[in-house]
Amino acid sequence: MIEVKNLTKKFGPHVAVDNISFTVNDGEIVGFLGPNGAGKTTTMNMMTGFLSATEGTIRINGYDILDEPIKAKKQLGYLPDVPPVYGDMTVEEYLNFICDLKGVKKASRKAMLNDIVMTVQIKEVYKRLVKNLSKGYRQRVGLAQALVGDPEVLILDEPTVGLDPKQIIEMRALIRKLGEKHTVILSSHILSEVSAVCDRVMMINRGRIVATDTTEGLSNKAGNSLQMVTVKGDGYAACEKLDVWADIESAEIASDNGDGTYDIKVKGRDEADIRELIFTTLAHENIPILSLKPVTLDLEEAFLKVINGELEDNETLSVTMVEGTDEKEAE
Amino acid sequence: MSAIVKKELRTYFNTVTGYGFLGFFVLITGYFFVSQNIVAANANYNETLAGSMIMFLILVPVLTMRLFAEEARQKTDQLLYAAPVKVTDIVIGKFIAAAVLLLIGIAITLVFPYLLSRSGQLAWGMTFVGMFGYFMMGICLISVGIFISVLTDNQIVAAAATFAAVFLLLMMDNISSSAPISVGSSVVFLVIVVAAIALTVYTSTKNITVAGIFAIIGYVIMGVLYFINPNIYDGVIVKVLSWFSVLSRFENFYMGILSVSDVVYYITFTCAFLYFTVNVIEKRRWS
Repeated sequence: MIEVKNLTKKFGPHVAVDNISFTVNDGEIVGFLGPNGAGKTTTMNMMTGFLSATEGTIRINGYDILDEPIKAKKQLGYLPDVPPVYGDMTVEEYLNFICDLKGVKKASRKAMLNDIVMTVQIKEVYKRLVKNLSKGYRQRVGLAQALVGDPEVLILDEPTVGLDPKQIIEMRALIRKLGEKHTVILSSHILSEVSAVCDRVMMINRGRIVATDTTEGLSNKAGNSLQMVTVKGDGYAACEKLDVWADIESAEIASDNGDGTYDIKVKGRDEADIRELIFTTLAHENIPILSLKPVTLDLEEAFLKVINGELEDNETLSVTMVEGTDEKEAE
Repeated sequence: MSAIVKKELRTYFNTVTGYGFLGFFVLITGYFFVSQNIVAANANYNETLAGSMIMFLILVPVLTMRLFAEEARQKTDQLLYAAPVKVTDIVIGKFIAAAVLLLIGIAITLVFPYLLSRSGQLAWGMTFVGMFGYFMMGICLISVGIFISVLTDNQIVAAAATFAAVFLLLMMDNISSSAPISVGSSVVFLVIVVAAIALTVYTSTKNITVAGIFAIIGYVIMGVLYFINPNIYDGVIVKVLSWFSVLSRFENFYMGILSVSDVVYYITFTCAFLYFTVNVIEKRRWS
C-alpha cells in the first residue's frame, strides 16, 4: 500500500511535481502515463527515497520514506529508467551483490535467486558479464535486481523503453505476472502499454495528475461503441438505415473514398456494442461491409486533449478522461 | 556496509585498477628501498617510506576517482540510494575498500624491512610506527579523493582534481612557510574566510538573513578579539595552512614516535572529509 500526500518537488524555481496525492492499494498495478518531462521519474525517485520531496509525505506500507527510510526501502524494488547494472560484474556476481546490499539471508538466497532467474528468464546469461549483454537482457537483469528481497512494492520506470517488440510483449506479460503477487507502479508514455498492463491509470502532465481512471473504464469508453465501417455501394442509404435503431446514436459519412466505397462513422448509444447490429442491418440492405473496426485512436486523442486542455487553460485541470472522450465524440 | 566493501574490492580486482595499484605501489617502494636502504647501506626503512610518499600523487587518484564518479555516470547511484542502506554506510564502505587496498600494498612491502632485518639490525618498532603513520596519511588522502569523486560524474575530472588536491596537501609546508604573517594579512584572510562561510550557508539554505547573521557574528567576534589582543592575529594564515599539512604530521611517525595527537589529527581529518562526502550526497537529494 502506497500513500502519497500533497507531494511537491521543486528544482530551484522549476516545479517538477506539483502537489499530487494518490493511493495505491495492495495488489494493484497502476500506470503513470504522461509525456516526457511530466514528472513521472521525479515522482518515482521520491517514492524510492533517491530524491527528497520539497513538501508532502510518502508512506510505503505505513512507513514514511523520510522518517523510516530503511524500513520503507525494504518494502521496495526499483527499476530506474536506465537499468542500474555494473558492466564489470557477471549477472551472478551482480545479483549476489544486490542480495548483500538488501541484506538477504544466506540461507534463503539460493532459492530466491533461482526463482528470480526463472521468472525473468536470464538463466542463459547468468554467468556472463553484464556489459556484454543486450539491452533487453540488461533490462531483465535490472528487473531481477528489483525483485531481490521479495519486496511487496515494485516501482518500474519505463520498463519497456528500448526493447524490441517481442521483448516488449514479454516484459508486459512478466509485469502482469508480477502483479499477481506485488503492488506495481509503472510509468510509460505509451497509452496502449499502460492500458494493456495496468488496472488503473494516472495521467500526469506538468507535475500534476490530470486524470485518473481504471483501465476498464478507459477501454469501455474506447470500446465498441464507436465504429468505422467501410461499405461498398450507397453510403447515404446505409447511414439512413443505421440511424433508425435505438442503439445507434448517429451514423454519418466520414469520407467518400471516390471508388464507390464510403467510410461511415457509427456511434452507439450509451456505449452499446453495435457491431452485430451494423452487420445485420447492412446485410439486410445488401450493402457489403468491406471493413469494420473500432475507433481506438480516440484514447490517444483524449490523452492529447487532456494535456492540451491543460496547456491552454489551467482552470480545466479537473477535466477527466470521460470529458475528453465526449468532446471528441461530440465533434 | 560489508556489501559495499565486498563489491568495491571485487571491482578493484575485476578490473586492472587493483593489480595496477599494487604493482605500482610495490615497484615504487622497491625503487626507494634500493636507493635509500640498499645502495645507501642504511638500515632505517622509514627513509624509504618518507621517500616513496610522492607516489600518493598518482595512487590516491587511481584508488578513489572511480568510487562515486562512476556510480553517477552509470546511474547505479540510484540503486545504492534506493537500497535499504544508509548513505553513511555507503561512503564508509567505499572508504574501507580503498583503505584495504592500501593496507594490502603495505603488507606486501613488509618483505623489504624483512630483507633488511636478515642482513642487519632493523628497529622493528620504529619501522611499524613508520608504516602505521604512512597508512594513516594514506587514508587521509583517500578521504579527500573520495570527497572529490562525489562532486563529479567524470572519472578523469575526479582524478585530475584529486591529483591537484594531494599535491597541495603534500606541498602545504612550503606554501605555509612562504605565507604572509602580518596582522593585516591575517585580518584580510579571515574576512575572506568568514565571507566564504556565509556564502556557503547562503547557497545551502537560500536564506539571506541566516547567512547575514553568520557573517555579522563572525566579524563581531573578529573585532572583539582584535581589541582584546591584536597579537592573536599573528601568523593566522600560516597556522591555518599548516593545519592542513598532513606531511608534517608524519615527522613523529618517521622518527618512530607514536604520538596520540597526530593519530587523532589523521582520524579527525579523514572523518571530516567522509562527513563532507555524506553531506554532499544528502544535500543533492534535497536540492
